Amino acid sequence: MAVLELRRAGLTGRLQPLDLTIDHGERTVLLGRSGAGKSSLIGLCNGSLSPDQGRVLWRGHDLQRCRPAQRRQIGTLWQDLRLVEELTVLQNINTGALGRHSLLWGLRNLLQPLEPELGDAILRQVGLSTVLRNQRVAGLSGGERQRVALARLLRQQPTLVLADEPLSALDPRLSNDVLNLLLKQSSCMVSLHRPDLMQRFQRVLGLRQGELVLDAPPSAITEATLAWLYSED
Amino acid sequence: MALAPALVLLPLGMVLLRDLHGGGAEQIGRFWLAALQPSLDPSLLKHQLMGLQITALTALLAWSLSSLVGLVLGLICSTTIWSTLMGRRWPALVVRRGLAPLRSIHELIWGLLLLQLFGLNGWVAVLAIVLPYSALLARVLADQLDRHEPPALVALQCAGVPAVINLCTSLMPPVATALRDHIGHRLDCALRSALLLGIFGLGGLGTELMLSLQSLRFRELWSGLWLMALLLVAVNLMIRRLSARHGLLLLALMLPLVTPLWSSGLNHDLSPPSWVEGTPWPSPALWSEGLSQAWMETPWLELIGGTLLITLLASGVAIGLPPLLRLIAPGPVAGWVLKAGWTLMRLLPPPLTALLLMLASKPTLAVAALALGLHHSGVMGLVLEDGLERVDVRDQQAMVALGAPPRSAWLFGVLSPASQRYLAYAAYRSDVILRDTAVVGLVGGAGLGWQLMEALSSFYWPLVAWLVMVYAALTLLGELVCERLQEAA
Repeated sequence: MAVLELRRAGLTGRLQPLDLTIDHGERTVLLGRSGAGKSSLIGLCNGSLSPDQGRVLWRGHDLQRCRPAQRRQIGTLWQDLRLVEELTVLQNINTGALGRHSLLWGLRNLLQPLEPELGDAILRQVGLSTVLRNQRVAGLSGGERQRVALARLLRQQPTLVLADEPLSALDPRLSNDVLNLLLKQSSCMVSLHRPDLMQRFQRVLGLRQGELVLDAPPSAITEATLAWLYSED
Repeated sequence: MALAPALVLLPLGMVLLRDLHGGGAEQIGRFWLAALQPSLDPSLLKHQLMGLQITALTALLAWSLSSLVGLVLGLICSTTIWSTLMGRRWPALVVRRGLAPLRSIHELIWGLLLLQLFGLNGWVAVLAIVLPYSALLARVLADQLDRHEPPALVALQCAGVPAVINLCTSLMPPVATALRDHIGHRLDCALRSALLLGIFGLGGLGTELMLSLQSLRFRELWSGLWLMALLLVAVNLMIRRLSARHGLLLLALMLPLVTPLWSSGLNHDLSPPSWVEGTPWPSPALWSEGLSQAWMETPWLELIGGTLLITLLASGVAIGLPPLLRLIAPGPVAGWVLKAGWTLMRLLPPPLTALLLMLASKPTLAVAALALGLHHSGVMGLVLEDGLERVDVRDQQAMVALGAPPRSAWLFGVLSPASQRYLAYAAYRSDVILRDTAVVGLVGGAGLGWQLMEALSSFYWPLVAWLVMVYAALTLLGELVCERLQEAA
């Protein structure tokens, strides 16, 4: 069943109009050189970017017109993380759940972090020490901040996970753990600079100079295809 | 660049020397000597402490009300909030421009206007501060909210977080620190404003100081000034303690509940103000006739030119004097001495400085500019010292090691890195100086402020209306210029 559809959706100067359907339960990897349009495609899929042409549909509804309850089903792990630097680790994790709680709950979270036990469990899932729970995010290392962003995503419990280069600040062991967590989600689309990891996905999308040039299972992708995808010409 | 504004000291100095009559030079000397020998007469101190309490009460009540009102208005003025909640920005811009006249008119002018309307009532001084301060805070808050769109705002929006809680979570924490610092600074400003309003007859310690100055009782004057200094130190310490964990907000919420009790203990009238009976208001027909007549007979170019010239000269003094003095004496001991000097300059309200200068010089535009410039050099001096302390001195040390003269090494290795932040603040300070020309104009007989005082004294309301509008327009223009300069920087 299709959860997300792009119908001739494009962004002038960044992404040529494309058709794309993401089904429930599908695990997709997005490959391409820097500047190929991977972040723009993720931006179209999570609604942060509005298409200049075509439409993006979430379960048949125009994504730009979806209510917050519908948008809550799409979770994004941003390349620049987009945490609230002045809040603590636990408060940031809880922002993932703001869509499911009342305004009062959200305001209380600003004054003091709520549901610490749940937060601790998620921290352990992402490999962070619970000692960091009350530390301000601004004081963490790049790898720690990336895992806090992942923890926020897990707290949101989305149906579709979009991840924009989630492994960039992580060592190989942590990269493996994070990827395992992402792949456990219902459906995911992950942009990576690691073609060697594509075997862990069911579908490979390749972008080149803003154009979707590849859409195939990993078994159909050859070294020559990858070399062409990442070439300058 | 930071030193260039000091060039105005040359023409100012020449004019002052030309107009120097020396008649009051001895008085000026007595004034400064009296700083070391304030009067300790018990009955005087008792009066001054009462006045100090009224000043503090006025300032605290005005600060708390303006903080609360300003916070609400600031949210309404934010384009980020409007576009997130309603998908359009223009209502914020309309409100922001609508509040501009409130903040562009100096609290002293508000005080004199309200005094005419309501007479001597404690609320006059309070409202005179609340009106511009709440609009100023609204602008600062809206600027903070709109200047840097936090990345988390879009992230939470895409995650399906409802707009209101999204705005609270992603916007408030980043602006909270800057806002807290500004609100704390506003309390210090409110105290100085309350003192200034008292100098012009609106009660409190300022009234006592003016009486002492007019009778040349400088020791009594300094008793009051030192009391004010102690109050400012105490308040600033309190602000630092309360700045952690929402203390300032709690104080702002509590003060309106506490101050009525305090005022009744002081016999200070805080009953609701009522219109003064018998105020000569023109009829509607006379208003339109009066407006055109007032416009035609007023030398606007001369008045506006005078006000702008005062602003330019005062800004030159305020911005150029601190780095110039530091260049002359760049060492750490000089830094401490200058810091004490700047603190003292801040303590003396501009009208007092202007009146002191007029003891030795004729009342001219130069005197008004110098008085205003010296007062604001106190603020700029402290900003400069703060900036110099943060500079990494290794560049300076490297230059000295390479054979550069110490003063040149200080200029290029210390002052130059600190200049950008200093000059950015200077742009904002010039804006404040333009507003403050109303204060010295009233004393120095120059510019729009002097004309306004005359019009108020003679109940010439059509001219008062024009003058207030022109002042507001000038201040708005100054704000726009500052905004453009800051954007360009």
